[in-house]
Amino acid sequence: MPQDAIVIAGLTKSFARNNVLRGVDLTLSAGQVTVLMGANGAGKSTLVKILCGVQAADSGTITLDGRPFEPASPAAALRAGVVTVHQSINDGVAPDLDVASNLLLDELASGSSFVLNRRRMRAEARRIAGAVGLDVDVTRPVSELALADRQLVSIARAMSHKPRLLILDEPTSSLSAAETERLFALIDRLRAEGVAILYISHRMSDIRRLADRIVSMRDGLISGRFESQPLDYAGAVRAMLGHEITEVDIDIPPAGRPVIEARGLVLRAGAAPFDLTLHENEVVAITGLVGSGKSALAEVLYGITAPVAGELRLDGAAYAPASPGVAVRAGVFLSAKDRLLNSVVPDFDLTRNMTLPFLGRHAALLGLMRRGSERAVASRMIAEMGVVCQGPKDGILTLSGGNQQKVVVARWLAEASRLLILDEPFQGVDIQARRDIGKRIRESAATRATLVLCAEIDEALEIADRILVMSEHSIAGAHRNQNIDLGLVMAQVTESAAGHSA
Amino acid sequence: MKKDFNLTDFAIRYGFLLLMLGLVIGFSVAQPAFLSARSGVFILQSVAITGILALGVTATLVVGGFDLSIGAVATSALMLSAYAMVIWDLGAVEAVLLCLAMGALVGLINGLLIVKMKVPDLLATLGMMFLLMGLQRIPTEGNSISTGMSLPGGGTATGTFSEGFLMLGRYRLDFILEDLVPLSVVFLIVIALLVWGFLELTRHGRVMYAIGSNAKAASLAGINVNGYRVLAYVISGTLASFGGILLAARLGRGDVASGNNLLLDAVAAALIGFAVLGAAKPNAFGTAIGALFVGILLQGLTMLNAPYYTQDFIKGAVLVVALVFTFALSGRNGRGRT
Amino acid sequence: MISRRIFVSLMGGIALLPGMALAEGAPAPFDNPGKVKIALVRYLSTGDFFQAYLSGVEKQAAALGVDLQVFDSRQDAALQADMVDQAIALGVQGIIIQHGLTESMKDAAQRAVAAGIKVVAFDVNVENPAIPQVEQSDRDLARLALEQAIKDQGETWTAGYVYVPGIAPLDRRDETWKEFKAKYPGITEKAMFGTMDNPIANSVANQARSVLSANPDIQVVFAPYDEFAKGVKIAVDEAGMSADVAIYSADISTADIALMREPGSSWKATAATNPAVVGEVSVRTLAQLLAGETVGASVIVPPTLITQAQLNELNISNMEELGAKLPAFVHADVSVSPWMALPAR
Repeated sequence: MPQDAIVIAGLTKSFARNNVLRGVDLTLSAGQVTVLMGANGAGKSTLVKILCGVQAADSGTITLDGRPFEPASPAAALRAGVVTVHQSINDGVAPDLDVASNLLLDELASGSSFVLNRRRMRAEARRIAGAVGLDVDVTRPVSELALADRQLVSIARAMSHKPRLLILDEPTSSLSAAETERLFALIDRLRAEGVAILYISHRMSDIRRLADRIVSMRDGLISGRFESQPLDYAGAVRAMLGHEITEVDIDIPPAGRPVIEARGLVLRAGAAPFDLTLHENEVVAITGLVGSGKSALAEVLYGITAPVAGELRLDGAAYAPASPGVAVRAGVFLSAKDRLLNSVVPDFDLTRNMTLPFLGRHAALLGLMRRGSERAVASRMIAEMGVVCQGPKDGILTLSGGNQQKVVVARWLAEASRLLILDEPFQGVDIQARRDIGKRIRESAATRATLVLCAEIDEALEIADRILVMSEHSIAGAHRNQNIDLGLVMAQVTESAAGHSA
Repeated sequence: MKKDFNLTDFAIRYGFLLLMLGLVIGFSVAQPAFLSARSGVFILQSVAITGILALGVTATLVVGGFDLSIGAVATSALMLSAYAMVIWDLGAVEAVLLCLAMGALVGLINGLLIVKMKVPDLLATLGMMFLLMGLQRIPTEGNSISTGMSLPGGGTATGTFSEGFLMLGRYRLDFILEDLVPLSVVFLIVIALLVWGFLELTRHGRVMYAIGSNAKAASLAGINVNGYRVLAYVISGTLASFGGILLAARLGRGDVASGNNLLLDAVAAALIGFAVLGAAKPNAFGTAIGALFVGILLQGLTMLNAPYYTQDFIKGAVLVVALVFTFALSGRNGRGRT
Repeated sequence: MISRRIFVSLMGGIALLPGMALAEGAPAPFDNPGKVKIALVRYLSTGDFFQAYLSGVEKQAAALGVDLQVFDSRQDAALQADMVDQAIALGVQGIIIQHGLTESMKDAAQRAVAAGIKVVAFDVNVENPAIPQVEQSDRDLARLALEQAIKDQGETWTAGYVYVPGIAPLDRRDETWKEFKAKYPGITEKAMFGTMDNPIANSVANQARSVLSANPDIQVVFAPYDEFAKGVKIAVDEAGMSADVAIYSADISTADIALMREPGSSWKATAATNPAVVGEVSVRTLAQLLAGETVGASVIVPPTLITQAQLNELNISNMEELGAKLPAFVHADVSVSPWMALPAR
């Protein structure tokens, strides 16, 4: 029986009224890789933040090697032996510093009696790098390294603390296959050395390769533990997604005539070509990992970038938009992801945010704006979307995230379109707003084709008639949203695409 | 507006206008001549040129840019109009059109440098400023232009500033009093109304504000962001050249000048405008009030015999107070860059 | 006013063109003037005055047949000092320092003198006994203009005064203004204003508008710099007070002549030194030094009074005609040696 490195009991955490962790009990054993799965908002990242000292729990206990563990800061967590490698690689390194400085960054920052002796620094750095199999010139700046080497720097830096617990948050999301294998070899070695490893990932291939056990999280609770070999992967996915999803009854209407037809589309050099047809009165969701090419497809359809190869037809006519403006005039709309970055105009009120793309519709002679016409549209869309606000003149930033998202989606629902693309329309919104937005998208879908891009499978299940899986910038699978085989979907999400058509 | 009375809100919205009213009352008490129709018109006339320039720079501020070249464009237009009439013997209409075309062209080049060549706005327009300051001196080898001047190639210039052209800066309309309102004041008011209407009431102004607030979002809404940014610089250049035309008409000769003071005063007016009515963003009404504010201050101080350096000091102090109004007091996060 | 000597040397200059022709009779090193290299190191360069000064330097240098090199520091005091060193390195025989700051130029000028180079300074005191200073007499300028004002307006009037302290020539003109106020207690200074904001005339016009409306009883404005005077004239015209206000100033240009001659112009008189003449005198003073002649510590170029009445009578409309019809303005008989060629007129 492996020794328990870390024991978490009854951990809770809330932000305002939002209970993110509702009593998490979890034991992590030395020399074991525990894979943690969970949808967005399940509480994974909050759990990690508590473990690595960024946030404090509201209640509950954590013991590390039998002693209470309540890190007041990331530095305290590090000293206690809890080391975290974050998803975004640059979080873990200072790109402008050289490798040696990065490896010794924590010593430098803690200002212990470490004197800046260059030669000693380099020797120490080489020793640390060697321990993780990182073979680079330690005097090079990190920004010149390959992604995988940067990540190894980040891990090596972590390893110099002789960790008891190593947390890896989606570490392979930016790595190539060979680089991934190098990382796995390192994890194997650490496991053999008796380090407890908490590995957060959705990539089934990673999970199959590494997991000693799988823990699923949902709605702030541990929803499933899978420890007996062979591991029940499908069960883990089900436990992560829960039952509610299958309860969402999608009534698949008959699809209308084709709106968008893509033939032999190649999204980036080397990707497999694919075909795609989207019909009127059809909501199609594309799911896939971050970086799988969903947004690249949206950019091609919306005229931001040109495809490497392939042709597009819109309502039977050739369609090659040169800019978003051309796409909008052709009736192809895109509600972009990351609303604060790509959609919200912070200086504008709610009305002006809604009417932004279609000012011509509300302009009279000489381009003079007709305020009444704008207000009418805003009032109608506020009612249709159920935007919670004091009135159409509210500043956009005074609204909650969910209501902001309703406004930016309403912007594109206000006018009739041929194809409406929604890139991550449920990003950073609460469950009620997510239901409202999804309902409205489906209700209004009859006269157009609708394409929803979402990384989370359960969001796709809630909204789509048809679910396509994207992987490596091509389509890896297509499913009618009825009695869907989630295990197969997950597998397609994580495996390389061979070039299907949908 | 339907909220309860809140002193901070009130101060942010009306503080600057009240301050201006206080100044007018203060100056009138200290110097009764301050409060006359003529004195009011003097103030407007003294800010007409910088006001027009400030309205142009407001257009570039709205799209999140900046135009440092306006002062140099104005003095280039001053030289060009003089050159056109005195040396080329052109008439008023041709000279005005030539100058406006020059301003628009400079704006177009600024815009293309920024949009196509990806030169940061401050640097592109700074370069243009130096370029124009030098260029305007080349044809006359650094001399000012006036009728009868000797030409570098020998001979003397025989052309004159046409009467029609001089009228732009000197003609006065009868309004209440005889010969009260100079044309330049009428131009200021008309241009202020046009720019205000353009920015606040038309879809183009709306789009420009959207670009200034979030260019990425505007672009993804299908807006031709680059086109509008170029347009803003063309507006700025054209208005600056018009300011230069009025300057030439007032001076009656082509004076070599850097135009840096015009630039600074215009930028100050536009920035003070951020604070008017708590807008916290560039706006034409605020810019006009900002220019007027500076004009009232300088007129009053001059009437009270304050030396020029105290005037600079007070101008600076007003600007700092206005920026505090904009960035610290108003809860909205004002734009980080100006 | 026109002395015979001036006239003679003027005619001589014209008669003996080109300058090269004189070279045989000239002392060394001017017996072979093509080998003589001189440098003009400038601090101020933009504006009509400095442009005209440069043209005077160029013309006189050409008349003497010497090789002139112009260094322009564009108001960068440190650069100006470096440029003196550059000129030394270039092996020039003579340097004219045009304006600058005493602090930055003193050492540089001494280095040049130590290198055996003859140096003349214009309008900058480099505190060096070996270096003569060419000056236009600012005190005389102010005096001539103010004397004309007393002559025209009597000894009792209310005045507006345009002045920006801290600028050496204006400070010197200010001293004279103070003396006049002390001498004629009937003069009341109601307002003092002024600014160097560019374009100066426009900024001064705005100020003058305010001053005139606050003090409508002002009879005379003393604006001892032509850009100031131009600004005041604009304001006076705009206020419709041309008949009530008289402007007296210093300096002159073609545009100024036109303004003074406008019907009913309030600009009554100006006193001026021709900057081109100052430039010529600077070169001639340097030439005298190079030829080993004795030069005083200070070379003063006398100003000329130019009145509206004179301009109208002689029908003068530009600087060329001014030079032709008022010969005192186009040549100063200062630092002239018999062997020198003068610029063509």
